[in-house]
Amino acid sequence: MSTSDKLIWFSGKECVHCKRIRPIVEQFQAETGKKITELEVWHSEDNAKVMRGYGDTIKKACGGDLGVPAFYNEKTGNAVCGTVTLEKLKNWAG
Amino acid sequence: MSVLKKEYDIGVKRLWRCHVCNDLHYGAAPPLLCPTCGAKNAFVQVDRDEALKIVGERGGALVTTEAIIEAWKGFAKFSEDYKLVEDAEMVSGLAEGVLANQKAHGLRYCPCRLAQGDFIQDLKLVCPCNFQVQQTYAERGECWCGLFVKREKQ
Repeated sequence: MSTSDKLIWFSGKECVHCKRIRPIVEQFQAETGKKITELEVWHSEDNAKVMRGYGDTIKKACGGDLGVPAFYNEKTGNAVCGTVTLEKLKNWAG
Repeated sequence: MSVLKKEYDIGVKRLWRCHVCNDLHYGAAPPLLCPTCGAKNAFVQVDRDEALKIVGERGGALVTTEAIIEAWKGFAKFSEDYKLVEDAEMVSGLAEGVLANQKAHGLRYCPCRLAQGDFIQDLKLVCPCNFQVQQTYAERGECWCGLFVKREKQ
């Protein structure tokens, strides 16, 4: 497990929902000043390994699978999954 | 199915060949009726090499987004429960996604979920998956990707 406190967005390059949620992520960053690190998981095995490392929490948030888009907070250990609202993203980030 | 359970080990899939028309089936038990020629009790167990030789290079390939979308339409058109979502841009984007996964990872995995690295487990992610058991289908009436959606009942 990482020892950093990153806010991570696990995405898929060809995932339609990931494309659609990008403006919300950008709005979140603009409004809060907090950075979300995007890790694309289908084209980077390194990023996929990071996601699998947080697999239990993310699967629970996604209803059983390693879905994308998924957001993982390394500081709190919380994850949210799917097309989330700006408000939900702010709550997740803490 | 109870008769088949007694006759066959339903936990093990094998290859079967119709001795009338050489239709092939991969499953725990042979089909009672051949879906191609209609012959009854016509399937005999064969080995993998024989099956692969019968198929050879035939059977067609789905290597374009258009071909994949046609396959999805064919899959959904007779279902009374679900249909392909009526959003051409979304369908096209997801077809590009599964095609990219086919080229990079060998199978048309769902682009909206990550494979876990266990081949058998990850077969559950090949599109179309068994989406009717998913939480998103129960709650929102759509597969995880939103590609297949529940039909509105008349």
